[in-house]
Amino acid sequence: MSELKVGLLSCSGEECLGGTISRLATRKVLEELKMVGTVTLCLPLYLAGGEEERNFAKVFPTISVDGCDKLCAKRSTEKYSGKISGSIDVSKIIGNENALNTKTVRNEDLEPEHFQMVDEVASAIVKAISCISPDSCSGKTFRGCSCGGE
Amino acid sequence: MNTKVKVIPCSGIGKVFGLMAREAVLKTVHELCPDKSETVCLAYIVTGDKEAKEKIEGCDCITVDGCPKMCASKNVLITGGIVKEAIKVLDTVKEHKGKQFGTPTQLDADGKEVINEIAVKIAKKINEIS
Repeated sequence: MSELKVGLLSCSGEECLGGTISRLATRKVLEELKMVGTVTLCLPLYLAGGEEERNFAKVFPTISVDGCDKLCAKRSTEKYSGKISGSIDVSKIIGNENALNTKTVRNEDLEPEHFQMVDEVASAIVKAISCISPDSCSGKTFRGCSCGGE
Repeated sequence: MNTKVKVIPCSGIGKVFGLMAREAVLKTVHELCPDKSETVCLAYIVTGDKEAKEKIEGCDCITVDGCPKMCASKNVLITGGIVKEAIKVLDTVKEHKGKQFGTPTQLDADGKEVINEIAVKIAKKINEIS
């Protein structure tokens, strides 16, 4: 039996706020805004030999969520797994100045305004998921991120 | 030349240990050793871009990984960084058996306690090598 699955691949960049927002928005969609079976994929595993990650993105629709316009998650996914189904550039939603903020990066430093940004990006991810054809969401069973997550 | 030690976490998104790696590194580079260390986006390193490679090639690096896949350590090595220490979050977690650390989204009090311990270990290593 086939399952509905969409992969979300966040850059989770450590240098700036955009990375933190990308990570939190991805988690929010995964935990709270369940539409179809979303799974997270660990980006670093792409280069470190994560065959399961690479194969997932070849079989299932995958959406990249990048904190800045370097678009690392998008480019790496396309490099190893082919074309992706959607791409979110957080800097285009929260503004370049916010995305490249290097002072506020840790979870504990976030203020209500930053969680508002998380909500906005999560909404964009949901919108991107809703644009995917349901037919393309059916595929083989995938057990989730190799690091043990959902 | 920028001689700051590069401290790079895996930031794994599937389990709490990835968040612990991330928050421990950010505490170190922002709070404990801001003058001697900095972080570099692991996602940028993964792209293999020339500019990303130049950021860590030949530099002293400390990696912090949340799971045995050791993604941060492997990617830094592949890109030419000198891994002076490959810290495993699980080594510290083992000393706190039975505690709940939180979720991949948010750390609980015990999780914060553990990341403080890991951050101190990272800072100690930074002070040794810089």
